[in-house]
Amino acid sequence: MNPFLEIDRLTMRFGGLTAVDGLSFTVEHGAIHGLIGPNGAGKTTTFNAISGFYRPSGGEVRLRGEVISGLSMHEVARRGVIRTFQHSTLFAEMTVLENALMGTHMAFRPNVFAAIVGWDREDRRGAYARAVEALEFFGLEGLRGERAGDLAHGHQRALGMAIAYAAHPDVVLLDEPFTGMNPEETTRMMELMRKLRDSGVTILIVEHDMHAIMGLCDRITCMSFGKLLAEGGPAEIRSHPDVIEAYLGGARHVS
Amino acid sequence: MPRTVLLVILWAAVAAVLVALPHALSFSQQEILVFMTINLLVVASYRLLTLTGEWSLGHVVIVGVGAYASALYTKELGIPVPVSMLLGACTSALIAMGLSYPLFRMKGFYFLIGSFAAGEIIRLLWKRFREPFGGPKGIKGIDPMPDFSIGIWDFDFFEPVSYYYFAGAVVALCLWLLWRIERSPVGLTFHAVHWQDKLAQSAGVNVRAYRTLAFVVASGFAGLAGALGAHYIGTINPNGFDVETMVFVLTWTIVGGTATFYGPLMGCIALTVLNEIVLREMGFEQMRPLIYGAVLILSILFLPKGLESLVQKLVKPRRVEP
Amino acid sequence: MFDLLAQTGLNALYAASYISLVAVGLVLIFGVMGVVNFAHGELFMAGAYVVVALYAGGGAPFLLAVAAGLGFVGLLGLLMEFALFRPLRDNPLGGLVASIGFLMILQATAVMGFGVRMEHIPPVTQEVIAFSEKVRLPMSRLYVIVAAVVLLGALWYFLKRTRFGWALRASAQDAEAAALQGISIGQTARIAMFIGAGLAGVAGALTAPLVSVNPHMGHSVIVTAFIVIIVGGVGSLEGAVVASVAYAFVHTLVTTFWDGVIADIVGLSLMLVVLIVKPTGLFGTADRA
Repeated sequence: MNPFLEIDRLTMRFGGLTAVDGLSFTVEHGAIHGLIGPNGAGKTTTFNAISGFYRPSGGEVRLRGEVISGLSMHEVARRGVIRTFQHSTLFAEMTVLENALMGTHMAFRPNVFAAIVGWDREDRRGAYARAVEALEFFGLEGLRGERAGDLAHGHQRALGMAIAYAAHPDVVLLDEPFTGMNPEETTRMMELMRKLRDSGVTILIVEHDMHAIMGLCDRITCMSFGKLLAEGGPAEIRSHPDVIEAYLGGARHVS
Repeated sequence: MPRTVLLVILWAAVAAVLVALPHALSFSQQEILVFMTINLLVVASYRLLTLTGEWSLGHVVIVGVGAYASALYTKELGIPVPVSMLLGACTSALIAMGLSYPLFRMKGFYFLIGSFAAGEIIRLLWKRFREPFGGPKGIKGIDPMPDFSIGIWDFDFFEPVSYYYFAGAVVALCLWLLWRIERSPVGLTFHAVHWQDKLAQSAGVNVRAYRTLAFVVASGFAGLAGALGAHYIGTINPNGFDVETMVFVLTWTIVGGTATFYGPLMGCIALTVLNEIVLREMGFEQMRPLIYGAVLILSILFLPKGLESLVQKLVKPRRVEP
Repeated sequence: MFDLLAQTGLNALYAASYISLVAVGLVLIFGVMGVVNFAHGELFMAGAYVVVALYAGGGAPFLLAVAAGLGFVGLLGLLMEFALFRPLRDNPLGGLVASIGFLMILQATAVMGFGVRMEHIPPVTQEVIAFSEKVRLPMSRLYVIVAAVVLLGALWYFLKRTRFGWALRASAQDAEAAALQGISIGQTARIAMFIGAGLAGVAGALTAPLVSVNPHMGHSVIVTAFIVIIVGGVGSLEGAVVASVAYAFVHTLVTTFWDGVIADIVGLSLMLVVLIVKPTGLFGTADRA
C-alpha cells in the first residue's frame, strides 16, 4: 500500500539558492503532523511546493501514490489537499457566510447557464448547508452576516480553516496558524485542530510556536537549511540533540 | 406578502415611466435616449468584466466587433437582422475567447495596456481592409430592423420611439440576465477571484478560467449592444470605437462606482443627461468636453466611490441568503 | 535601394528623437508618481500650441518659443501634481482617471482657443543637407535631433550626477525607503512632474513646424509612447530611449515599404508580444503592476 502523503526528495532552487534540498518524509493518514525548523530552514518553501504554489525543481509529492507536485494550486486542491494562508488571508470584503460558501466551490461547481435558468437551486441549497455546517464546526455560525475583514483575529483564523473544511479536504495544510495568538486563543485553536483531525482530516502544520506543536502533533519533522534534521514523536524531537542545537544556534529556545 | 406586492407595484411604476418617457422628449432627445439605452448595456457588461478585478481598455472594440459582425452577416450573407444581432454577440464572445489566451497572462496595469493594444489592432484591421470592413469610411446602409406590427401597434424602426421600445426590451432582458449572473454562485466566485485570487485557488477555483468566463460573457453582451446600435444608426466606422469612446465608458463606470450593479448605470444616465441634454441645451457646444473633464476630475476627487456611494448611504445594503 | 534605406534611417532618427523625449517623460512620471499619465499626449499638444501662439502668431524667435513651451508645459505638470496626483496619491486608478479628465480639458481648451483646424506654422529654416540626390535631411529635422540629444544628455547628467537626481531615482525605486533616507517625496514629485511634462512640451514645441498641429494630435503620440515604454520596460529610462529608436526604425521602415496603418499594427503587435513573453519589458526589472 502507498503511503498517504509522501514528500520524496523534494528540491526547490531559486536562482543559485537551494531553499529545500532533497527533503523526504511521509505523513500518515489521520495524523497531525508538524513541520518545524529554525528561521530560514525552508519550511514555508516546502509548504508552498506541496500546495502547488511553487513547482518543485526536483523530487515529487505524492498523495496516495498519485503525483501532485507540479500541478497548479486549484488542481492540487481538487485532489483533496487544501491549504490555508499565513496571517488572516480571507475574502475580507465578503461576509463570513460568503467566505464559507467559497469553500464549497468544488463540491457544488457553479454554472452560468444553470444560474440564469434557475436549475441550480439544489446545488445552492447544498452549498449553503455545507457552508453553515463548516461555520458551526468552528463556532462561527453566529457571525455569518459579518464582514470577514471586521472579525477578531482568532475568528479570522478559524474562518480560514472553515473555508478549507467546507471543501471536504483529505489533507489540510496550515501555514503558521498560531502566529500572533495569545495563549488562550492558541489553546482554543488547538482544540479546533484536534476536532478537525477527529473528523477524519489529516493535518500538516508549519509552525514556529514550539509549545503548541509539541502539545498537538502526533509526529514532527524538523528541518534545517533545507534538509531533514530529525523526525519522530514530540518527546523524541524535544530531546533530540540536533534539534536543540539547531534551535539554539538559530537563537531560539525550545520551550 | 406585502413586500412582494410593493416590489411589483414599484417595478410596474418604473416600467410605466420608461414606456411613457419618450413621449415627453423632443426628437433629438429621443435619439439620445436610444443611444443611452444601448450604452446602459455596454456599461453593465463592462462591470461584469471588472468584477474579477481586471480593467480592460478594449471593451468598446468588442462592442464594435458585434456591430461589424452583425452588419456584415446581414449585408454579405443576407441573414435576417434579429438573428444576425445574436450572431454578432456570439462573434464578440468568440473573439474575446481567442483574446483571453494572450491577455490573461497579464494582470493589472499590463492587462489594461494589453487589452488596449489588442483592441487597437482589431480596429486598425477594420481601417486597413476595405474588403470586407469598408476601410476608414466603414460600412454604410446597414439593414434596419424590419417593420412589424402587433395588432394595432405598428413599429417602424426608423422611428426612435419604436426602436427605443425594441432596444429597451432587449437591454432590460440582458440587464436582468447580468444581474442574475452576479447574484449567483458564479458571481460570488468572480468577487472572490478579485479580492483574493490565491485563496480562491486554494479552494479549487480555476482563477484563469473564471477570468476568461467573465471576459467572454461580458463580451457577448457588449457585442449585442454593438449590433443594436449598428442596425439603428445604419452606418459604422472604425473611429466610432476608438479609445476616446472607451474613455466615455470608463468615465460612466467610474463616476457611477463599481461596487454595485446599479453604480455604472447611474453613471451612464447622469453623465449622458448632463452632457447631451443640460450642456447642449445651455449652448456650451465647444465647452462640453471641458466641463465633462472637470466633472470627471471633481467626482474622482470628491466622490471616489462614485454616485452609488450616495445611494448606499441612504439604503443600507441587504445581504441575500438563499 | 541603399538610398531609400538611408533616407528611411534619417527619418527614423528624427522620429526617435521626439518619441524618446515624450516616452522618457512618461516613464519618469510613472516611476516617481506611480501614475499612468494619459494626458501626456495632450501635454505634447500644448507645447506645440505654445509655438503656434508665440512664434507663428506673436513673431517671437523660435528658440524662445520652444523654451516657453518647456516652461509652460512644465508648469502644467506642476498643476497636475498639485491638483490631481497629490490628493489621489493612494489611488493609482484615480490618478489615471483624473489624467483623462485633464486630457479632455486641455483638448477642449485648444479647440476653444485655436479651433479644430490644422495650424499653419512658417518653417524655421528651408535649408536641407543633401547627402546625395535622394538622401536629404532638412535642417529643421536636424535641429530636433540635436535638441533631443542635448536634452536627454542633460537629463542623464542631472539624474546621475546631482543630488536631486539621486533623490529622484531613489524615490522611483522605493518611495518609502527614500522617505526614510530624508528625501522629500513632495519635492521629488514636483521635480519629476515638471521635467516629465516639460519634456513632452518641448518635444511638441520642437516638432510643431514639422507636423500638423491640431487639438487631437496627442492621441497618436500617447499610443506611440505607451508602446515604447512597454517594450523598453516600464520604469526604465534607458529602455525607453533604446525602444524609441528601435520602434522608430521599425515603424518608419514598415511605413516606407508598406503603409502607415500596417506599421501601427506591427508596433502594437510588438508591444503585445513583449507583454506576453516578458511583461517587464526588454530592459525593465521593476514590476509595479
